[in-house]
Amino acid sequence: MEQSLIFFGLLAAPAAGAAISLVPRDGVEVVASLLSSGAAVLISLFLLASGTSGAFGFFYSDGLTRIMAITISSVFFTSVAYSRFYVKRINEPLIRFRWYYSLLDLFAFTMLLAITVNDLGFVWIAIEATTVTSALLVALERERTSVEAAWRYTLIVSAGLVASLLSVIFVYFSQGTLLISDLAGASIRAGLLLPLAVGFALVGYGTKAGIAPMHAWLPDAHSEAPSPVSAMFSGILLPTSIYALVRTFNLLQGLPSFGAMQNLLIGFGVFTALLAAVIMGYQRNYKRMLAYSSMENMGIILVGFALGGVGAIGAAIQIVAHAFAKSSAFYGAGNILVSYESKSMAEVQGVATRLKYSGYLFALSCLAVTGAPPFGVFVGEFMILAQAMSAGNITLVLLLAAVYTYGFIGLNRQSVRMIFGQSSMGPQADGELNKPAPAVPQRENWVSVAIPLANLVVALMVGVYMSPLLLQAAQAVVP
Amino acid sequence: MILTALYLQSQTFVDPTIRAAAVQSLLLAGLFVVLFLESGDGDLLYLAAITAGVRGILIPAVMLYQVRRFKHSLRENGTGQRVPSLVIVGVILVIGGYALFKTALLPTLSNPATSVPFVLVLLSFLLIVTRRNALTQMTGFLEEENAVLYAGALIAPSIPLLIEFAVVLDILGVVLVGVILSATRDVLRTLEEPELEQLKG
Repeated sequence: MEQSLIFFGLLAAPAAGAAISLVPRDGVEVVASLLSSGAAVLISLFLLASGTSGAFGFFYSDGLTRIMAITISSVFFTSVAYSRFYVKRINEPLIRFRWYYSLLDLFAFTMLLAITVNDLGFVWIAIEATTVTSALLVALERERTSVEAAWRYTLIVSAGLVASLLSVIFVYFSQGTLLISDLAGASIRAGLLLPLAVGFALVGYGTKAGIAPMHAWLPDAHSEAPSPVSAMFSGILLPTSIYALVRTFNLLQGLPSFGAMQNLLIGFGVFTALLAAVIMGYQRNYKRMLAYSSMENMGIILVGFALGGVGAIGAAIQIVAHAFAKSSAFYGAGNILVSYESKSMAEVQGVATRLKYSGYLFALSCLAVTGAPPFGVFVGEFMILAQAMSAGNITLVLLLAAVYTYGFIGLNRQSVRMIFGQSSMGPQADGELNKPAPAVPQRENWVSVAIPLANLVVALMVGVYMSPLLLQAAQAVVP
Repeated sequence: MILTALYLQSQTFVDPTIRAAAVQSLLLAGLFVVLFLESGDGDLLYLAAITAGVRGILIPAVMLYQVRRFKHSLRENGTGQRVPSLVIVGVILVIGGYALFKTALLPTLSNPATSVPFVLVLLSFLLIVTRRNALTQMTGFLEEENAVLYAGALIAPSIPLLIEFAVVLDILGVVLVGVILSATRDVLRTLEEPELEQLKG
């Protein structure tokens, strides 16, 4: 019962924030959302420290739950804090700001629900609900492109998720229960339907996680959503879908069909990562570039979970490190967008001169998300590679090495050009052609710098000093 | 059910597509009633009422209202010429899908009727990926939802509350879609405008 209260508290915080945000008084929505997200962080930290594991009525917790809870609540908190700076630039929002904050809280609530419930049916419902709560957030800026992106997101993801409902139906038909705690035991009944359920989960949850070739919505939604929402999409929504997929996949542990489905997941993971790593280097829009980087990371994380062992631990670490580093990158991108009013890399040059802190933070965040040592993503990627090596899968090792290298060069080459390059597109001085416009340093809002800096520091800490609590939770991810 | 799905594929105008999706939902509601009479499971009756009320009447009515805002019959841009070939692809999907079902799923599910929702899922995917108009894509989504709920009722009718929750959430999803659609009329003519070049790559 006491443990159940932890989960009730974790869900009650954002739910209360969502309700209070609707009170029609100026500023209430910001305070309510900040307090509720802060409370969610504290409760998640308590959950992590307590090492709570097992089934507690409606709820279920293990290492993966604890990892996801702290990641979701932290990025939720920083996105709420960053929103205060970011959304005020939007002149004609699609919805009132109090609705924006309320939906942001509900979005976090649905993700926290998905990772704490002890029922695969409710996991599906919660993930479907994340689409409902986030669709309007994507279209907040009310531009034609953002409305179109929201439409594509809603339609493609909903269509995909209906396929994962088939997965849930197959699990129930073959096992007679949807309770994760009952399914975690050795009582799993083998048969054709369970691997089929994993296949449908791969299509359904994979669509939401941005697994290729079902990823068509992802670059649009990430690039058109407001930056704090993009950070939540990339850092926590995609891993929440991976969580649901992994929960279904783990049902196959020890069954004859495990190897075939493991190879299927590895195949899709590598294909996604490789495709994203190649496309990333050719982007003209820096937010789309970051979106493809998220796809690359999700592909690698999927490979890690499919490999199991050290690979699964690496995947869990990468989820945490990527969430903090990528949210930092999206906040940095938000600062750049506010200053330049353009998402085009051709029009955004010499950022380090104009926005000194945001420029350097963006460049460092790009290094962090592409696995540069000593950031946490590097540790995760290295562990996944090590697992592939110990499994003796040379082809996979070579493919992963290619992904890491391609992704690193592709993203950082573009970001360095943006941050440290000189503009030839700006207004020309003295009528001379091809002379770069002189970059004028701008004063930066300290909140807009402090938040991405804090997240980047956490991403670094995951790499250089792994908290024993985090490591313990990551180790408990291995089935 | 499959005939209505093929009829959906064969239409280039949006309004008959919406009406066909409504008819399909009403047919499915009738099937749920028949299954209820056979099994006595009250959930099926509840599901029949939601299917008829929401996907058979309410959502099509909202979509037809959107179409009427244009004051003329809305037609798919550029898809018209491809419709005959899409119908042929649809027929091939029906035959191929049934063959696949018979080989891979029938031995486990042991209910040949389950092949119908399986084929419907494939046809709904075809409708979604080949059409450009948001309302036609929405009918594809309705068809897909019909198919999966049909499959759920046939395969695991005792599955706890899941079907009801799914329907409730889809209502919410469709309401949101309605808000998005009403936010801008232009979104109904998608993908061919120069400013949407930004969403390429």
